[in-house]
Amino acid sequence: MAIITISRQNGSLGDEIADALASRLGTVVISRKYALDNFFGEINPGTLDRLNESAKFFETTLPGSNRTYADILVEKIRTIVSSSKDKDIVILGMGGSVLLSGFPGAIHIRVTASETTRINTIARKYRITNDEATEVLNIADRKHKKFVRTVYGKDITSPEQFDLILNTDRLSVDECVDAICELARKHDIKVKLTESNIDNGTFDHQTRAVKFKNETEEEFARILSIYNIEWLYEPKTFPVEWDAEGNVTMAISPDFYLPKFNLYLELTTMDQKYVTKKNKKMRLVRELYPGTNIRIVYKKDFNELVDRLKMFGGLNDNIREDS
Amino acid sequence: MSNLEDALKTERVIYSEETIKTRVLELGRQITEDYKGKELVVIGVIKGSLFFLSDLTRAIDLPIKVDMVGFSNIPDTTSKTGIVRITKDVDIDITNKNVLVVEDVIRTGLTTAYIIQNLEMKKPADITLCTMLLNPDRLLMTIPVKYYGFEINDLWLAGYGLDHDEIGRNLPYIAQIPKRK
Repeated sequence: MAIITISRQNGSLGDEIADALASRLGTVVISRKYALDNFFGEINPGTLDRLNESAKFFETTLPGSNRTYADILVEKIRTIVSSSKDKDIVILGMGGSVLLSGFPGAIHIRVTASETTRINTIARKYRITNDEATEVLNIADRKHKKFVRTVYGKDITSPEQFDLILNTDRLSVDECVDAICELARKHDIKVKLTESNIDNGTFDHQTRAVKFKNETEEEFARILSIYNIEWLYEPKTFPVEWDAEGNVTMAISPDFYLPKFNLYLELTTMDQKYVTKKNKKMRLVRELYPGTNIRIVYKKDFNELVDRLKMFGGLNDNIREDS
Repeated sequence: MSNLEDALKTERVIYSEETIKTRVLELGRQITEDYKGKELVVIGVIKGSLFFLSDLTRAIDLPIKVDMVGFSNIPDTTSKTGIVRITKDVDIDITNKNVLVVEDVIRTGLTTAYIIQNLEMKKPADITLCTMLLNPDRLLMTIPVKYYGFEINDLWLAGYGLDHDEIGRNLPYIAQIPKRK
């Protein structure tokens, strides 16, 4: 899941990037237009015009309410984000980076471009002269800055609130979307890893390293890293048996989850003939949680991976050969 | 017994030259049917797929492009164990092309997964896999194996690209060899 806020300079192709990103993620762009269409119920055309035109109007209260349009905007966006679960969300403008500052799953993007590029883009888009485009930009920039300052009391242009700043002078929309998607994917894994490890005590708060239960797990994690395969350690527990009162009597926490392959792996260092109980748990997980890919890494699989790496000089001799 | 069979201490023939030839022709026909009218790039994985790639591509009756990819573990200053890196990348542009990766054998699928991850970055239209030998019971990774020659179990094998300590790749059939410690 990714929550991505995009702040953009006018004429920097930020809107196009947001649209392409939302399309790639299979979601919609939550923009000012979306907010006006969906957040405030029925509003008359006059009010709609004033909300479109004036940042200050967001400070006025809704008819029959003591809450301002700004209050509702903030509340609605936070509700959407908090209840998003596994959905991707793209928020364009509206000071999303300020509003969701510190939200763990959110990444904040700023799209910029040189004044020349922005003027050329505006001139092309509206079929106006460069002088007219310059004037349009001045007005738009002022309004944009004022909106965030009025609603949140912050400066939208300060770079420290963004995780990634993209310059479209030389980057295409597609390249920007690629970069954002890759960042979102990695950030999501990092957030899940942090959350899961804090939850289940597999995270050493002193060293900030994962605490493995045994050497084999640690070595397997190393092998996955060597192959550049991202992993999470014990991110989830699957209850598989309950007593009459509904208390969990049997559960399994697979050792690794590989997000890229949507795959859980459970390591065993025992000989294959002694893994009947684990096999039963695996079967129950597959039955109770359809669509879950879960596999056992047997001792011989593990040893083969170690041997293969040793064959091309990967692992040091101090990593065990067999057990 | 030939010099090579002697060196490998081959125990028995698992797949003869004739059996392999027949199966490769079947796979070639199937791939020809499936990729008719599409742009197909066939990529062999160095070095094991060498002989299979050579026979398979000649059994595909399409204007395919052929390339090879190789990887190895190289030392890395930031870790003791080094890191797996592509040592021979594809030279052909595979963007928006159909890619068929050819392997000699897939067991756990970890190395294949690594190669696929790297090829995916070049944005092909799709990537599928063809392997001469597949051990489905050992497969750990969810990888798109579309074609395979034969299913195998845990036997130690050599020949037709498969080696033991770099010996045995040029054996023209697949033979069982004794388990080495």
